[in-house]
Amino acid sequence: MRPKLAVLARHLVLAGFSAAIALPLLWVLRVSLTDKLTAYKLPPEIGQIGLHNYAEVLTQYDFGKWFGNSVAVAVAATLVSLPAAAMMAYASARYRTGGWPLLLGVLASQMIPPIVLVLPMFLVFMTLLPVPGLVAITIAHVAVNLPFMAWIMVSFFDADTRSLEEAARSDGASRWQAFRMITVPVAMPGIIAAGLLGFIMSWNEFLYALILGDHGSQTLAVGLASMETHAGVNIAPLAAATLLALAPVLVLLPFLQKYLIKGLSLGALK
Amino acid sequence: MTAATPMEMRDRRFGWMLTAPGLALLAAVVLFPILWAGTTSFFDYTLIMPGYDNFAGFGNYAKAAGDGEFLHAAWITVLFVLAVVSIQFAIGLLVALMLNDTERGKGVYYLILLCPLLINPVVVGLMWRMILHPTLGIVNWLLSTVGIEPVNWLGAPDMAFWTVVLVDIWHQVSFMVVLLLAGLSSLPAEPYEAARVDGASALQRFWHITLPMMKPVIAITLLIRMIFAIKTYDIIYIMTRGGPGTATDLISYFIYRRAFVSLDLGEACAMAAMLLIVIAGMTALLWRTMRTAQDD
Repeated sequence: MRPKLAVLARHLVLAGFSAAIALPLLWVLRVSLTDKLTAYKLPPEIGQIGLHNYAEVLTQYDFGKWFGNSVAVAVAATLVSLPAAAMMAYASARYRTGGWPLLLGVLASQMIPPIVLVLPMFLVFMTLLPVPGLVAITIAHVAVNLPFMAWIMVSFFDADTRSLEEAARSDGASRWQAFRMITVPVAMPGIIAAGLLGFIMSWNEFLYALILGDHGSQTLAVGLASMETHAGVNIAPLAAATLLALAPVLVLLPFLQKYLIKGLSLGALK
Repeated sequence: MTAATPMEMRDRRFGWMLTAPGLALLAAVVLFPILWAGTTSFFDYTLIMPGYDNFAGFGNYAKAAGDGEFLHAAWITVLFVLAVVSIQFAIGLLVALMLNDTERGKGVYYLILLCPLLINPVVVGLMWRMILHPTLGIVNWLLSTVGIEPVNWLGAPDMAFWTVVLVDIWHQVSFMVVLLLAGLSSLPAEPYEAARVDGASALQRFWHITLPMMKPVIAITLLIRMIFAIKTYDIIYIMTRGGPGTATDLISYFIYRRAFVSLDLGEACAMAAMLLIVIAGMTALLWRTMRTAQDD
């Protein structure tokens, strides 16, 4: 009898916890599907269900532009960071290049609060290096992505491929060829996961985009934040917009589940 | 130390060749800005009178250290970090322990709890503002159905602080669950079997086996979460702008205001430098903990 009770108690706790996580999201989904007036009605009414709020967000706001800017920045920052981070991580794992000081430097880089880096970056882009907003944001996102990716990829390049590399080397391949032809393909799933995690970090980043961007370079995060003031408390389109912003990330979730622990724990846990 | 063979020399050169692009990028986007901020912190640099004409020495640091608002922001940040990290840890450990003992439905629970972690903090802030709206929000209506007076979630200073804590817990508690669960599931089974033979109760097993073996994981998880909690900015910007008054004026938001509302970049850089020193200390602690955990 007692073990059964314990199982029941566990499921009660877990279900309660899951509900606390999921219900707010479901409520926003519900608001996004109602018409504007019903959205405010309490007690909640079912009313008309439809996708008109999504249509409104896409046609009457700059949503498409924000989305495009976010994609551009996140893709560019990832494409710049990923190869550099992968090579760095590999050199550190296989050749111990830079030893522990390099690793500590990489760890410390990703711990720096954005507010610390954004002040000097703002000054540099204002005076020394006046670049378009999207470029400035991309550069800032490299500062976020590169150390994060390098750090988690160090553990991807552990001993797994060493014997394969040595075989290729004794067949006459150069170090670079062994890395490029053997190690990278084997480690590719991990490299792609690191890239996707970096993409998501860039996608979700707000402070750099807010301060280093200009009107034409608003990313989704900045655009959504401005939408509230524009729309007053027009919650139905806002709900639709927030869910549209979430969609790409939630789509990636199942693919990333395996690598998420490593990413979140900064490689400290498997 | 023996002399390096030609082979080792070439290995070493190749390693640095691979590392060079990453190091160059890091120098440009991390090291260079930090040095620039450090320099600016020693000058009277405002956005009204930009320029490095007036050397201020440690003037900006002294001004910040004597600035009641800055100290208040630092204090609020300490309270915020302690509140969110301790509550998230308590909930996270409970949920992780339950999940670790669960087979059926584990995948579903896990997938649900992963969701908040990937959500843009701006979206989290906007979402909760909607839900917690004093007159139009669903939460106050639900409370009214059980006879509870409407709560002014973001309008009253004390309440606003706890509301922001609550929202951060919703957003980040899964971080604790995921990491602690990963730690729990990699614990060896033998000590538990021995304890069962000795007739130890569940509480005894938790206290004498689980907790001691989980110590490194717990330390790493707490440190990472603390460092990230100190950086909290987005939900403050979206939900309260530091208010009402200065009730939720966390340090990152305060420095942002000093730089871009008061336009005093020099002082803001000095405050940022102080914040960086605190973060550096915690990172060093994290590094040491990770190292010891690896060696064990």
